[in-house]
Amino acid sequence: MIKVEQVYKTYINKHRNFLFFSETRQTEAVCGVDLYVNPGEIVGLLGMNGAGKTTLIKMMSTLLSPTSGTITIDGMDVVKDALKVKSIVNMIAGGERMLYFRLTGRQNLEYFGNLYGLRGSLLKDRINYLLSKVGLEKAADTPVERYSKGMKQRLQIARGLINDPKYLFLDEPTLGLDVSVAKRLREFVQELVHREGKGIVLTSHYLEEIEELCDRVYIANNGRIIMHDTPKNLVFNITHGNVLNIVVPEINDKLNNNLRTLIELHNANIEISSNEEGILISIKSKKDITTEVVQTIYNSNVNLISLYIEKPKLEDAILQLENGVA
Amino acid sequence: MKNLMTIFMAEFKKSHFLYFHTNMIYFSLLVWPIILFFSAYYSFKPFDTKSENVLSEYVSNQEIGSFLLIGYLGYIFYFSLMQSAFQMAPERARGTLELIFLSPVSRLAVIYGRAMANLLEGVWLFFVFTVLGLFFFGDIQPHNWWGIPLSLFLLIISAVVWGGFLNAIFLFSRDAGFFFLIIQEPLLLFSGVRIPIPVLPIWGKFISYLFPLSYVLLIYREIVMRGASLFEVSTMIYSLLVVIIVFILLTSWIIRKAEKNSKINGSMALY
Amino acid sequence: MFLTIQATFRRNYLVMRHSLPYTSIIGSLLSGFYMILFSYLIYKIMFNGKLDDSFIKYTGSSDYITFAVLGSTVYILSISVLLIVSRSLISELRQGTLETIFLSPASRQGYFLGCMLQGLMLVGIEFIGILVMGFFFGLDITNINPISASITLVLIIFSFYSQALVLGAIMVWFRDTYITQNTLITLMGLISGVSFPIEYLPDWLQYLSKIMPLTFGLVAFRETIMLGGELVSSFESISYLIMLTTCYFLIGKYLLIKVEKNILEKITE
Repeated sequence: MIKVEQVYKTYINKHRNFLFFSETRQTEAVCGVDLYVNPGEIVGLLGMNGAGKTTLIKMMSTLLSPTSGTITIDGMDVVKDALKVKSIVNMIAGGERMLYFRLTGRQNLEYFGNLYGLRGSLLKDRINYLLSKVGLEKAADTPVERYSKGMKQRLQIARGLINDPKYLFLDEPTLGLDVSVAKRLREFVQELVHREGKGIVLTSHYLEEIEELCDRVYIANNGRIIMHDTPKNLVFNITHGNVLNIVVPEINDKLNNNLRTLIELHNANIEISSNEEGILISIKSKKDITTEVVQTIYNSNVNLISLYIEKPKLEDAILQLENGVA
Repeated sequence: MKNLMTIFMAEFKKSHFLYFHTNMIYFSLLVWPIILFFSAYYSFKPFDTKSENVLSEYVSNQEIGSFLLIGYLGYIFYFSLMQSAFQMAPERARGTLELIFLSPVSRLAVIYGRAMANLLEGVWLFFVFTVLGLFFFGDIQPHNWWGIPLSLFLLIISAVVWGGFLNAIFLFSRDAGFFFLIIQEPLLLFSGVRIPIPVLPIWGKFISYLFPLSYVLLIYREIVMRGASLFEVSTMIYSLLVVIIVFILLTSWIIRKAEKNSKINGSMALY
Repeated sequence: MFLTIQATFRRNYLVMRHSLPYTSIIGSLLSGFYMILFSYLIYKIMFNGKLDDSFIKYTGSSDYITFAVLGSTVYILSISVLLIVSRSLISELRQGTLETIFLSPASRQGYFLGCMLQGLMLVGIEFIGILVMGFFFGLDITNINPISASITLVLIIFSFYSQALVLGAIMVWFRDTYITQNTLITLMGLISGVSFPIEYLPDWLQYLSKIMPLTFGLVAFRETIMLGGELVSSFESISYLIMLTTCYFLIGKYLLIKVEKNILEKITE
């Protein structure tokens, strides 16, 4: 298990003003973060302005030391037992960096495998397995500079899995990828978690991706974790549930009164407007009250023209949260 | 040990495929040094080489060509490692440096693997240069043939250690061009490549003994041009070994410092 | 054209003010220092200040230090001007701003002149700095003919400018700066008479040196400073210099038009 406890990270940067004169500035990138990741689950890290996501990931992957607080991975401290931790974690970032373009895909994997002490037939088998897993067998001996974006990204994934890490950090892994490539990648990530029991930390700008993949989500803002829950609960708690839209030809007094009572009872919101079909009633409530509303309309002798339910997405939740924070 | 060899080979292969295909290596390790060599050779022309001077105590006037040739030969080795250290900058920009630090590999092995790989790549250029040199200055007649492999061995070892040191320094530095100026040019000036060290004023001698190349060139010339025995150069060899050890210690200290620094600031560059 | 010069000057000036390239200034000063130090060490210490008669025959002077200091100073000046102008296009290419410049009807010469004039602000500091260092080593300019020296200096700078146009076109064409610039710079150091008169070189290298404006620029500049010559007395080298400047300018202009087409096609690919 990855365990982050009360972690702070302060950067001290020197800014050169003129010639050799410089001033130091402090930036608090991460302030008092607690989080955990179990093997066999995908945890999302969502950030708003200056969230400190990358700093957090780099601290968990041993590239940065926390200013204070502790991070342990399977009981090993990322600072004191850095070398042991390194052999069970790896990181995959999106974009086209982090590969040697003049080397072939296979040569890249061989080099990085060597860095983890892998060699000989063990490494060879591992590389062949990974290449077939990411569908690059045919391009294995082509220099990376001739790869497409998607192929480079798949090679990145193979590279990140070269040491068969128990924990994997994915930093924007689908950045700029085609829809179909991104989809296959997501399926692969799910397979890694559910079949191989890896623990994964994922950051992404694509909120559907987080919603689809993650078991739990941490939302960070200005270096602090401001919320932590399952994607479903997050959406529900932030957006106050579903919106029920009903179109009716008219609203009589009976319907009006009955609806008001119902709304008050469930502590919901109601908005009435008109559209080309008739009068649109939008009801927002934490609890699903569709049945009650339909019953009320029926009881009030009003016809129902149409009914649809808007389910809010994580994106709506985050937008709302951002507005609230701002 | 087996791990160390694996890293060595890995760095070797990587460097080979990354840099050896490019034209750069021919220019930087053959064309430029040859031009520089001739520039130095002709720089001696305006002077009175017929009468007695300080230089003639150490190198006879007919030997200036071969004196410079040996100097530049050592310099090429050291220069090729400067070139390899320059490649730290693209590694940083591409993010692959971060991946190396993400892995549990021995940092010192990576650093020396790189240096060794780049040096071996340059060896064949050295032969081209030597053959060309012998063609133009046919007066290199070594007194001790056994001295050539020994000198070459010392040259390679010291150059790898020097290269490791530069690689480590370049972990720190964003501005490679500046380090080139404050390290490479004094190396050319004070390590006896063009000016014999005994001729230098005392402060110049002090600087020269900071460079391992100075010792190697002294030993090389003593053996090949003077016919000195192993016993006569043994003090020099011991001094060289001490300097090499100091450089290895310094390198490993720098790497640890650089990594620690990067863990704190998120960037390895101190400068 | 004037507006383009002004605009480019201003833009580069702002960039310079934002991040003063003091490493490049220190770099140039250090290079100059090392070059002069090398000349000083071999002349004073290795050869006890004894020159060969041939040197006096070739240069008309027995002041080696002044010869070497002027050589180093103008050599470093040539490198700075060449690089500032020739690298301007390729750095626009790397930044991705080249297309916008080519898209505009702005005068190309105005652009390059603006780059050079702005660059001269720093180059001037380097030039004076190296000369000042030279005094400590024994630079002697008591014979100077100030008017001829200034005119010669301006002509020299423009000759480097023209040469830089050709160099810039080559750099953009091959998408390379490192190999091209270092090869040219080291070659100029060998064949242009920077630290020794070119007469010592084999004939074929002497012929090659005739295509370098630096060769003639140095002869003329040394003449006006070391021998106090009027412009007329260095008529031959001055006219060669002007001729070379014109040739390089025309070739550079032609090549840049070619390169411009080539780049626009390649970018769109």
